[in-house]
Amino acid sequence: MLRSDAWMRRALALGATASLVLAACGGGGPSATPAPPGETTAPGETTGPEPTPGDEAKRGGKVTILSFNEEFDDMDPQRVYTGEDLAFFGATIMRSLTSFVYSEDPEVANTVTGDLAVDAGQPNADATEWSFTLRDGLTWEDGSELTCEDVKYGVSRTFANDVITNGPTYAIAYLDIPGPSDADAEAGWLSAYHGPYDGTGQELFDQAVSCNGKTITFKLKQPIADFNMTVTLGFSPVPESKDTGEQYTTRPFSNGPYKIEEYTTGNGGHLLLTRNENWNPESDPIRKAYPDEWEVLFGIDVKVIDQRIIESQGDDAYTLMYSAVQPENLATVFDSPTQPKPEFADRAVSDFDPYARYYWIDTNKIPNVKHRQAIGVALDREAIRNNSGGEYAGELGDGVIKPNLGNQYAPTGLWDGLLGQPIPDNGDPEYAKQLIAESGEPMPSITWDYPQTPVRDQEAAIVIDSLSKAGINVQANPIPGGQYYGIVFNDDQAHEFGWAGWGPDWPNASTIIGPLFTDEGGWNLSRVHDQDFLDGVKDALTELDPAVQAKKWQDLNKLAMERMYVVPTTFGLTQVIAGTGVAPTYQWAPYGSWAYAEIYRKPAQ
Amino acid sequence: MAGYITRRFLGMILLLFLLTLTVFFLFNMLPADPARLSCGKACSPQIVENNRHRLELDIPPIEQYQRFISGLFFGRTYLADTKRPIECEAPCLGYSFLRNSDVLSLITRSVPATFWLAVGGFVVWMAIGLTFGIISALKRGKWQDRTIMGIALLGYSLPSFFIGLVLLFTVVLWLHLLPSPQWVDPFKDPVRFLQTMILPWITIAILNAAFYMRLTRNQVLEVFGDDYIRTARAKGLPERTVVVKHALRAGLTPIVTAAGLDLAYLLGGAIITENIYSLPGLGSLAVNSVIASDLPIITAITLITAAIIIVANLVVDLLYAVIDPRVRIS
Repeated sequence: MLRSDAWMRRALALGATASLVLAACGGGGPSATPAPPGETTAPGETTGPEPTPGDEAKRGGKVTILSFNEEFDDMDPQRVYTGEDLAFFGATIMRSLTSFVYSEDPEVANTVTGDLAVDAGQPNADATEWSFTLRDGLTWEDGSELTCEDVKYGVSRTFANDVITNGPTYAIAYLDIPGPSDADAEAGWLSAYHGPYDGTGQELFDQAVSCNGKTITFKLKQPIADFNMTVTLGFSPVPESKDTGEQYTTRPFSNGPYKIEEYTTGNGGHLLLTRNENWNPESDPIRKAYPDEWEVLFGIDVKVIDQRIIESQGDDAYTLMYSAVQPENLATVFDSPTQPKPEFADRAVSDFDPYARYYWIDTNKIPNVKHRQAIGVALDREAIRNNSGGEYAGELGDGVIKPNLGNQYAPTGLWDGLLGQPIPDNGDPEYAKQLIAESGEPMPSITWDYPQTPVRDQEAAIVIDSLSKAGINVQANPIPGGQYYGIVFNDDQAHEFGWAGWGPDWPNASTIIGPLFTDEGGWNLSRVHDQDFLDGVKDALTELDPAVQAKKWQDLNKLAMERMYVVPTTFGLTQVIAGTGVAPTYQWAPYGSWAYAEIYRKPAQ
Repeated sequence: MAGYITRRFLGMILLLFLLTLTVFFLFNMLPADPARLSCGKACSPQIVENNRHRLELDIPPIEQYQRFISGLFFGRTYLADTKRPIECEAPCLGYSFLRNSDVLSLITRSVPATFWLAVGGFVVWMAIGLTFGIISALKRGKWQDRTIMGIALLGYSLPSFFIGLVLLFTVVLWLHLLPSPQWVDPFKDPVRFLQTMILPWITIAILNAAFYMRLTRNQVLEVFGDDYIRTARAKGLPERTVVVKHALRAGLTPIVTAAGLDLAYLLGGAIITENIYSLPGLGSLAVNSVIASDLPIITAITLITAAIIIVANLVVDLLYAVIDPRVRIS
């Protein structure tokens, strides 16, 4: 299960993905779209999963997931927005137009393929229109046919931002529908179309999204080269007759191999999924659906989760964790950050998680770039990593794009001379002093905001200590974890810099650079408003050539580091373990999750 | 008696009113922005404003409070200005947009676990506390007394998270004497219910029994020194009658006071024990709601917990009259 070279393989993976998209866009027509492994390319043709020897032996039983959460944030397909949730629901009850391939090999896994659609989508010549043709035999859990109109209706719900909240808003951002009028904006609408409940602007939506038989076509505001990855988020179908608005999130209608049997939240609550007898396996090339049931148990103490799965006694053998191995148990399971102990070799994994950790610096409050650079230069990043678990916590970061994003990543050289000279991992206070002197202004006193945990209290001490060596006066501002982002996104309450982490929505840096450094992206804690940078982001987003686009993301990543919008700390690693009775236990690259669609109970020995 | 209860009842309503008012205004003074917290990953200032409107945070706190009170008696409608309004029938304790559920349903679901945890734990700790407290008093100064008081001191010193985790890891994960705890309805699966609850009850009991052992011992010893106990013994009453009928009854008053309030406190939720054993009780609901700044749930739980405490106080006061003939309620 060890993949010490995981980042390299994932790097290759994105290269392959980008090549596929390039071929699709540059080839001038549908026939140029390459077929991912096992995927048909002929619209209208239906292909089911090839039965493999031993499939019957793998079927049956219940697989249990232990979660410390009290519930799922959301189960509504227009609102689910957490990687592990997307992976779990995507494998069980919520199919989308496209999906990523299930494979232990990240190179293959990061490849987009048709799910409800027969292929990975057909763009027009400039990728301002994308069409997806639905497979034959798609059904809902009541046996009714899943239609193109259901997909269209599902997408339309994202625009009802008065009811459908918290989810991805790429449909609003990308579809060719005007923005809100001033009056609409004042009333809180994000688009001229107000969604299916209100109905205002329905004609605008109908022009942007149209059904022709089994083919749905999306007209976009601008070329989007990776739109077939976008549709994995929030573009899933919903039958209008079953839509219960805000409440749909508690009981979504299934089109996957399972359906919701019971759902109770809170400590001791659970989600029980049983087989959807109306799921047509012939229409689904992705999901193996081996277990008869899935059960998620909520509110389990993380220490108890670890112990139960490590012990793997009785039914706990058929158990997965919805969290990570706790630091105090790492030495029990792993010999090193990349090497499980032999007895756990077939069920423990240490691999990149989706997140890059960093410290944002508010460019409004610290406008002098030399001051921002001095903060990054003085910071003892090695001590910060050691405090978080050492090498188990991850690799030292050099930007916000992680190596597991394939060709989107290139070393920025941030610590190797980008700032004027190499910066050691434990910081260079003398050079930081020099940068402050060069700034021409006195370094202001600054405050570091952080979501409080015992580990981060110690991290705060490291921040204060290392920056004080460069003569920077720092105060720490601990904030209760649940309130942290509510405070630091408030201009009046946020201080000069603080802790954060970010993972991409799909394997493309378009979902990193844009969100982190533009207001429209929604996660601009650095309050970046440099026009040249914003122009660069827009330029990269509309770039159709994936290889050229990747280079632009690399350049923007490097520029963001040079201007020190953020100080990268670690490219996170996560360690997980499964019970002895479940397989396969690899981490699925697109979401850094279990490969839920392939999980089965090992036959009794 | 009726007048006394009426006065106390009116006082309770006034107190609850002041409590909810305090919670509302304290919550509005917090630096956290619930609208941003419920904004999700793709957040923009406009979405934050929308959420503020959905959560009714864009209206003055006093109006929020008025709507809350009105909802208690007449019900209320959320998202009234949309085509998908949410009706919350009276008594509406609010609606949690973070949990997509009306608060009354959430609390109703949480009450059984807390009730059974508190009542079961109460029975166990009172049985242990009273029994060993009396034995300790009867054997004052002997090895039994010293042993019991030593154990009491140890039990009193151990925090609940330590006791809970040690019991769970030892009994369930290492010795496999019980299955992993999983809350079930006692009337649907009584065996699994007992298997799940036995360790939480012991955890709660270890903490509280220690205190009650010491309290009972002290009370009984104090009463043993009274003249009427000496008289009872001089009259030749059996020691069992002296202890149970005379000494214990007279010494019960402070024990009942403490027990009533402790039980009421537990009925408000045993946060640590509920979390360790994954019990869906009020305590864990309250803590997670505080972390998430989920005002409707926080307000409702404050209201309910306060009501339980106040009622428990009233019951304890009334019990005095039953236990001790010298006390008269007026």
